Amino acid sequence: MEKPFAIAQCSTAPRFLLALFLFSTLAHAQNTAPKSGQNQPAAAAPSAPVDYDGWGKPIPPAIKNQKPDPAPRRDITGTWDPGNGPDDGGQFLGAKALPVDGKPGHEPPFTPLGLEAYLRTKPSNGARMVPPGETNDPELLCDPQGFPREDLFQLRTTQIVQDREKTYMFYEFDRVWRVIWTDGRELPKDPEPRWYGYSVGKWVDDYTLVVDTNGTDDRTWVDHAGRPHTGDLRVRETFHRVDRDHLEWTVQIDDPKMYTQPWLAMDKFPMRLLPPDMDVREMICSRAEFDEYDKLIGNPASDPAADKVSH
Amino acid sequence: MEHTAIPKPLFILKLTVALLVSSAVAVSQTAPPRPATAPQSPVQKPAQKEVRKEVQKAPQAAPAPATPVEYDGWGRPTAPHPRSAKPAPAPPRDLSGTWEPAGGPLEGTQFNGSKAYEENGRTDREPPYTALGRQLWQGNKPSIGSRGVVPAEANDPVLICDPQGFPRENLFQLRSTQIVQTPIKVLILYEFDQIWRVIWTDGRKLPKDPEPRWFGYSVGKWVDDYTLVVETSGIDDRSWIDNVGRPHSDQLRVEERFHRVDRNHLEWTVSIDDPKMYTKPWVAMDKLPFYLQPPSYDVREMICSPSDSKEYDNLIGNPASDTSTNKNSR
Repeated sequence: MEKPFAIAQCSTAPRFLLALFLFSTLAHAQNTAPKSGQNQPAAAAPSAPVDYDGWGKPIPPAIKNQKPDPAPRRDITGTWDPGNGPDDGGQFLGAKALPVDGKPGHEPPFTPLGLEAYLRTKPSNGARMVPPGETNDPELLCDPQGFPREDLFQLRTTQIVQDREKTYMFYEFDRVWRVIWTDGRELPKDPEPRWYGYSVGKWVDDYTLVVDTNGTDDRTWVDHAGRPHTGDLRVRETFHRVDRDHLEWTVQIDDPKMYTQPWLAMDKFPMRLLPPDMDVREMICSRAEFDEYDKLIGNPASDPAADKVSH
Repeated sequence: MEHTAIPKPLFILKLTVALLVSSAVAVSQTAPPRPATAPQSPVQKPAQKEVRKEVQKAPQAAPAPATPVEYDGWGRPTAPHPRSAKPAPAPPRDLSGTWEPAGGPLEGTQFNGSKAYEENGRTDREPPYTALGRQLWQGNKPSIGSRGVVPAEANDPVLICDPQGFPRENLFQLRSTQIVQTPIKVLILYEFDQIWRVIWTDGRKLPKDPEPRWFGYSVGKWVDDYTLVVETSGIDDRSWIDNVGRPHSDQLRVEERFHRVDRNHLEWTVSIDDPKMYTKPWVAMDKLPFYLQPPSYDVREMICSPSDSKEYDNLIGNPASDTSTNKNSR
């Protein structure tokens, strides 16, 4: 495992960014050659980094200026990668369409309660970043990201599989799955909250699946910038398959307690189809790796040996 | 969230309770859905009819009045296991479906270690340790079983919600499991931690010197029309094999056999082979039976959450460890 290198090379990056490198050996293997000479990459220009899948196979680059085949009907199955490179869905500054970057118009329409709740969240990245010891980001405990944050932070290679009743989403981050029911059921009216909520989907045309989600756990954040939500959150995702090789993914947030109107968190985010034999890398949050990082580099005073009773 | 279910089992060890806390839905398996759950819509009726049809097929399936009814993640009653009904033959080379432990939802929990080798303090029920294997096993401090220690002394990685990894995902809290197939892979969707894993069936070989992963690298091959044999290697050696701390090294090879007996029944076998830790291969799970749920069945959510564990510590398990006193270490 190449942890020491990952840490040393990135010592100026925010803590969480580094910690993510620790999650799994393969998170940082994207631009490194596979071990033991397996599956040697095709010759690439010296300056063009080659990405590898989880099995060490080179990922073919996106081919521009080639007209893809038409999209199959009512079918979004496949292994999809962010269209602008694997880091395009990182969203460290918050939801892609409204990052916390100080630019005007990038603040969602908070209600007074929403603004108050937002100011209580202490993210580890972005304009409101606090030192590691002061953040209250549940993700730093390795709590589940929950939904919709799974779409809005570390959205990487994503597999989608369909059967007659449902669509399965297989996320890279935390290797978590989620089900979207397409069997015509309605959303539950007063469900037990779940980290990933309850999702139903409907094809509005042959190439567009619209998914509604409710029943999410209000302990989660909407995104990495700490946008809050309540149990009344409704999320609408639109998956539009543009052609065989391209998918657009839109996420809309609607929570009347926190926001005066619905807002777009991800707006036609482009994904591109990978070959079916691409193996998704492993990237899983681990408390033990956080503790190791804290002990070695981040915050030595917090050596877990000193407070292991609390673990 | 129905936290009222949490304080009752004080006699149960911490992890048991923490796992119940880990998701509200975990405790609702035998509790009725919330009173205010949406009334059944017309589109939900066919699924209910399907359930009823299963019941009608089974002469002995009508539950006795005292039998608790179980519910899926969407609050729908789950189909009882129609033991005496003769199912249709298995479809060839097809494991897909939502599978529930045939002995009931707790049958695959394996709190005392892997099903075929439950840890009970007797040496005749020990796996064939090497000297190194025994030494490492004795250093592992589970919070349960005959070697269970108090939570503060346990070093079980799952107590801090680290990934269970493989094969422990099969050998602890193995509950409702969805299997999805494509022409080149089989995806296993576990209930615990809502983790997925992929088994490649496209003919590729296992990598020779892979980067370790929590869930390793898996390839599968159909040895007949109803039996998929899966080999896994490249597993992170920080994980335990099971809930009683059986160790493994990076040399671990796991073989799984998925045998579909008929349309409604599947047997799942797990064999452990790690020459550094064990003198010979041993069977950790031996034909554990599963039965098929209707396709409308929604798997409950059961995810380990450090903040839930902390809440449990503060309230019940170990109030002295209130993390408000050391929150800067988080």
